[in-house]
Amino acid sequence: MDLLLSPQLLAAALIAGVLYALVALGLNLIYGTMRLLNVAHGELVMLGGYVAYWSFALLGAGPWPALILSPLATGLLGDALYRGLFRQLLANSALAQRIEANSLLLFFGVSIILQNLVSLAFTATPRGYQPFAAMVDLGAANLTGGRLLALFVAGIVTIAAVLLLRFNTVGLAIKALIQNREAASLAGIDIEKLERWSFVAGFAIAGLAGALVSMVEQLSPFMGFPYMIAAFVIIILGGLGNLTGSLIGGLVLGLLETYGVALTSPNYRSILVYGVFIAVLLVRPQGLLGRARIVR
Amino acid sequence: MFKKWMGAALAVAGLALAATATAQAADPVRIGFSIAQTGLFAAAAPSQLNAYELWKEQVNATGGLDVGGTKRPIEFVMYDDQSNPEQTVKIYEKLITEDKVDLLLAPWGTPMHFAIAGVLEKHQFPMVGNSAASVQLRDLKPGNIWFPTSAIPDRMADELAKMLTANGAKTAAVLTNQLPFSLEIKQFLIPALDKAGIKVAVNDEYPPDVKDMTALLGKVKAANVDAVLALSYPNDSILYMNQAKEAGIKAPFQFVLVGPTIDFFGKMFGKDLDGIVTIGHWTPAKADWPKAKPFFDAYVAKFNANPDYLDSALAYMSCEILQQAVAKAGLDKAKIREAISTMTFDTINGPVKFEGVQNVTTPTSFLQFQDGKAQLVWPPEAATAPYKPRT
Repeated sequence: MDLLLSPQLLAAALIAGVLYALVALGLNLIYGTMRLLNVAHGELVMLGGYVAYWSFALLGAGPWPALILSPLATGLLGDALYRGLFRQLLANSALAQRIEANSLLLFFGVSIILQNLVSLAFTATPRGYQPFAAMVDLGAANLTGGRLLALFVAGIVTIAAVLLLRFNTVGLAIKALIQNREAASLAGIDIEKLERWSFVAGFAIAGLAGALVSMVEQLSPFMGFPYMIAAFVIIILGGLGNLTGSLIGGLVLGLLETYGVALTSPNYRSILVYGVFIAVLLVRPQGLLGRARIVR
Repeated sequence: MFKKWMGAALAVAGLALAATATAQAADPVRIGFSIAQTGLFAAAAPSQLNAYELWKEQVNATGGLDVGGTKRPIEFVMYDDQSNPEQTVKIYEKLITEDKVDLLLAPWGTPMHFAIAGVLEKHQFPMVGNSAASVQLRDLKPGNIWFPTSAIPDRMADELAKMLTANGAKTAAVLTNQLPFSLEIKQFLIPALDKAGIKVAVNDEYPPDVKDMTALLGKVKAANVDAVLALSYPNDSILYMNQAKEAGIKAPFQFVLVGPTIDFFGKMFGKDLDGIVTIGHWTPAKADWPKAKPFFDAYVAKFNANPDYLDSALAYMSCEILQQAVAKAGLDKAKIREAISTMTFDTINGPVKFEGVQNVTTPTSFLQFQDGKAQLVWPPEAATAPYKPRT
């Protein structure tokens, strides 16, 4: 019981939750808004991690440059992919009918290419680094510097993103986009600019998440898959397109994993997570904060 | 008309010259193998592949592999087995029957070695294994596959219990990753600890994709044991190192199974790695093995990273064994089999001799990191440095 109520465990749960929330946030901006099935999302996290690793190893300025460089790198990649591949896909109404299937194929290819390019460039040898050698004693809990940084940055960015989009016209425009793309366009919203922005933001956030993950885990070209799965679970759990939902969903997942495992055993982690996921969907198919929609 | 004839004649002459030229250079020795370049084991395989590449480069620099007296350059025929044992089987069949390679080197990983044992038996093609460790190895029919490793689970369990007793440990915590090798070790370790009178206060397993060990380590900290034995793989070894520090675990004996011998691990944890005990039977610090330090230095020079003290050393040893066997026996399979089964080999890990499929000269050992270097601390008679409790 002592252990369950310990601040150490709470810290661990929050770190897990807020990292998940950040990854899910990025995916929500891509799948939630445009129904693009980004199965390469995990690879973006991986790329962000590698940029962070190399910036740490080569620049010698600690982990700080990575916080800018990783999202920049993946954001630029997102921009290139949007302009090169996805803009046409979204604009063409015939293709957009089966947007999920078509985007799935495209992103699948992107994911394989990214994994293998990174594997070729850097070999599959795992890499890791410690951004700070020191431990931080928070009185009640002890954290390595890297985990503390991850907690802070992920926490601030997710909350800021959610608030920004809630109280900003861009957020309103995204809601309109989700509801009905054609109608939003008729209402005067610059759809293409909004989609591009959302796409790039999603990629950039994934990159930032990758930079933070690289400070707490080992990197390898094939590490992205579990993050992609977790992200999909969270955004469906929280409600597609609802950014607050993905924040809550991420926290729920993190807390569930950590406390569930503490109460039972690490073997029950998957059962707990997917069990709760299925239970929520049975009771509320649109997710915790999702809005029930009629399929077009 | 004349020009056409001249052209044709010149072409034929040119071809003939080229043909004789290649015929005069020594035929390369083609050595085939598969390696996990993608998939689950892709992260671990480079340490083995690098050792192979280093060996090829060094041998070719001396003029080539000595095949019963004649030197012939080495050429690799390599495929990606995608960390899939079925794929490995297909690849080795192909290497033997279609590519018709002269010699074989081993793939990475215990499951792969087991998978191809049948193929080697069927074609009576001898191969020296390396990165495989399991008690089930002893059940394999000798004659076409051999295992130089001494890190076999049951012997490791016994030696670990002995080492703990020798250092006065009375209580232990055992955390096991649910993968075959670690589970096999646990299977022998718990009884060995019980027999030695060491109380196992915490005995927990966790899945390979574990993301957080805070709860487990909180339990271990509360139990206040003398020894923490983390039968972990690189990903969870990292979690252990970080989160054990956070949880404030101060046990004097801390054992981490897979991870510490890999190059990035040492770079990642620096001084925190000191005092950690891990599996391994090779260290460049051993003066009795004159080839050990040169191998270490050559690897660092070529790859700008330390070799993996376990996998890279074993891979290189298997190449040395093959090299020495072929120098004596040429390429005849029966003669190579005879040579590998009977010779005592001089490797970077000292002498190696096989009885059946196992290496009987190298003792089951443990390494400990001291001042950033791997030292052999067990068994005491072979140690390069005494064991120091972790502070």
